[in-house]
Amino acid sequence: MRSTVSRRVFLKTSAVAGASLVVSFYLPDSRANLADSLGASFAPNAYLELDPGGQIKIWCARSEFGQGVRTSLPMLVAEELGCDWARVTVVQGDLDARFGDQTTGGSYSVRGSYADLRKAGAAAREMLLAAAAAQWNVSPSECPAENSFVLHPPTHRKLAFEKLLPAASAQKPPADPPLKKPSEFTLIGKPTRRTDTKAKITGAAQFGIDTRIPGMLVASIERCPVYGGTPRRFNADKLKSMPGVRAVLEVPAIHLTHQFGEVSGPGSRNFSCSGVAVVADSTWASLQARKVLEVEWSETDFAKESTDSLREQLAALTTRPAAFIRNDGDFDKAHAAATTQIEATYEVPFLAHAAMEPVNCAAHVRGDSCELWAPTQIPGAAADAVAKALNISRNRIQVHVTFIGGAFGRRLIQDYAVEAALLSRAVQAPVQLICTREDDIHHDFYRPAARHVFRAGLDDQKNLVSWLHRAASPSIGQFYSGTGISANAAAEVNGPDFPAFGVPNFRLEFAVAQSGMPLGYWRSVENSGNGFAISSFLDEAAHAAGRDPVEFLLAVLGPARKIDLGRDRAAIDVARRRRVIELAAEKAGWGQSLPKGAGRGIAAYFGYGSYVAQVAELSCDLSSGSIRIHRVVCAIDCGTAINPRGVEAQMQSAINFGLAQTLKSEITVSNGRVNQSNFHDYEVLRMNDAPPAIDVYIVQSTDPPGGCGEPGVPPTAPAVGNAIFAATGKRIRRLPIRAADLRPA
Amino acid sequence: MAISFTLNGKAQSVDVSPDMPLLWVLRDTLNMTGTKFGCGMALCGACTVHINGEASRSCITAISSVAGKKITTIEGLSADGSHPVQQAWMEEDVPQCGYCQSGQIMSAVALLSKKPNPTDADIDDAMSGNICRCGTYQRIRKAIHRAASMHAGQTKSAA
Repeated sequence: MRSTVSRRVFLKTSAVAGASLVVSFYLPDSRANLADSLGASFAPNAYLELDPGGQIKIWCARSEFGQGVRTSLPMLVAEELGCDWARVTVVQGDLDARFGDQTTGGSYSVRGSYADLRKAGAAAREMLLAAAAAQWNVSPSECPAENSFVLHPPTHRKLAFEKLLPAASAQKPPADPPLKKPSEFTLIGKPTRRTDTKAKITGAAQFGIDTRIPGMLVASIERCPVYGGTPRRFNADKLKSMPGVRAVLEVPAIHLTHQFGEVSGPGSRNFSCSGVAVVADSTWASLQARKVLEVEWSETDFAKESTDSLREQLAALTTRPAAFIRNDGDFDKAHAAATTQIEATYEVPFLAHAAMEPVNCAAHVRGDSCELWAPTQIPGAAADAVAKALNISRNRIQVHVTFIGGAFGRRLIQDYAVEAALLSRAVQAPVQLICTREDDIHHDFYRPAARHVFRAGLDDQKNLVSWLHRAASPSIGQFYSGTGISANAAAEVNGPDFPAFGVPNFRLEFAVAQSGMPLGYWRSVENSGNGFAISSFLDEAAHAAGRDPVEFLLAVLGPARKIDLGRDRAAIDVARRRRVIELAAEKAGWGQSLPKGAGRGIAAYFGYGSYVAQVAELSCDLSSGSIRIHRVVCAIDCGTAINPRGVEAQMQSAINFGLAQTLKSEITVSNGRVNQSNFHDYEVLRMNDAPPAIDVYIVQSTDPPGGCGEPGVPPTAPAVGNAIFAATGKRIRRLPIRAADLRPA
Repeated sequence: MAISFTLNGKAQSVDVSPDMPLLWVLRDTLNMTGTKFGCGMALCGACTVHINGEASRSCITAISSVAGKKITTIEGLSADGSHPVQQAWMEEDVPQCGYCQSGQIMSAVALLSKKPNPTDADIDDAMSGNICRCGTYQRIRKAIHRAASMHAGQTKSAA
């Protein structure tokens, strides 16, 4: 394929791309000229190619791990191109400097690509229109494109795109092509089936773990059960005599370079955990040999840490004032004067990502070059990290981006790509590194455990007048960037500025806890725990005020208005916040009576450019402590919903993910060791836990798109907790919910 | 010693350690990667195949135990994704990341072969061993009901 060849040539000759979050651009490249000279396909930029048979290839430059980018992103290109969607084939973009570092995270793929991908399609359309108009000797402005044809309505003429390719290739790519108005969209906003389903129902989809290279060996790594520990000695000789075992090697701790542009400073601990790799002919041979492997470890001080010791530390940190992150009005004075004062403490545990595809990567190092088959959220960071570890040039690294069996933030960290590359170089063969489920759960980069202490005061009119939120947790920012940068620590409570602006005397405090646990970004990051704590305590305040929780939430938000946050932050649109709460309440039948033992709870969350409210409806059996969730109603305003079918899927996904942290999942530590190992003790949501219905309502909007992968997670736990309170009078203040929390005292 | 069985309707023989799980024979020896590794302990269902028509976790099934038996994997369900359960999955747009879906589909096909019109409770019973971390459970339920309405239970799998 010519395009493949040209992309390879490009990779070899391209300059190193800098790491950045905002990456897409649509620079015309040499392929356009090449296509012209060959008289074949039309490839005006990196994102698309039309062939003489009328087929269209559109490149997806983000990683697909379920969120639907291989559908939503090509839709943006196709909309503006005006092509027949049925003739589009989506091609995964391997790492390519024209795509930037291809970061897929922060619920940013659609938001970050909306303008540029549409321009990529529009530029191609303008070139096709110009070609057709020239042939007809009419003005291009009279020629719309539709369904892979250029039309000239005044004369009822039309030309298929594929008839225009050489002439279109000869057109100059426009620098700033006009974009369609939302009213002109025919594909954006239309519920569209995913492009990757057939591959995923036939077993044909190639995930990272499915990589098969001739001569490939398989490695797995036994790591020190205490994070940071190192192997002192191990019985390599005994293993080497086992069938299929090729090598037994120490794997060093890998310095984890940037994920979101973090810069390491003093006190950073961003290293993977070292261990002993067993490289073998097959996965089974490697795993069998590990059963015989004996390693004497040199442990670290983390061996003194336990869940109990961290809880004690967090409790101590929250008994006294911590660093002020936000301070509006005068909390102390207003709180002292309040008619009603309430106080409560919330706790959330460490969590593992537990994506279904265990962490893995295949690498083939040959001399000063390296080829990776990487299920990664940041192909560019994988290349950076491998280049640094192998001390080779980054442009000698090729990264094939595979399908990914779930990510949830784990695959922002590139440790496994580096380890695969180091092992490949050591054994002079292609190596696939595979983690077992136990490896994955024992050695994740965990969502931090946290403790949240709240105080709130109500005046004699039952209005919320004072709010103190004092949080403490280990800090992801400090794990990666060191202790010197306090702003990074405060990222643990960055959150959504909620319910600030609705409470005149508002104080947010944060204290960094010290922990040896490796930390990372987990779907919705700090909001996953903060959302639970904040929205649960708001519900406590509503009940303390004797007010309906929906009415109280709307009162706290205040009237519809825009709140300017300055700097580079988007303004808060209170009308949009209110609308999702009202919509979720209405669709859930808020206020209608329920049988005894049943209840509804509401929670809202605003972040990632989107607005989400959820109502959970459930019933509880107090004697057994069991919870039956009947339905979750979700309202989302994500601005322009590119693919409403995909938005619905992401909300259902986020809610089920949120229910797992609500009802099931917890990582605990004893003597520096993670206690959980597999799905029997690190439980996640299963079919019999999943609510019969998750009903998603999308606010119609032509605002720019917001994120969808993460903002559905934070409201789920508090909606459930608040529903349990409505049903039983029991307040849930710690996740996951335990049966004992519901039983009579 | 070679172990022989029927794989997706064809005779197959492998010469591997008798305790090697069927999962790794499929994935590493035969390069059939549609069947997935998720937990290695029959806890997640990603590795589900049919052994003599029964949904079975291939990650804990020693290859020696399948000698002479009929095995169907996701690749053998249909040549082109046309099995009614696969079609129902397409219609309902079930997969997200898709990693668990081979196992989900194999469990669903086995359920429908026994209960052509399963209730939600039947689905809970048959499908709760298959974890989907993306949370496609609601669409899986819909797809199973849709497949039932297409009489998927009457369709024999390839083996």
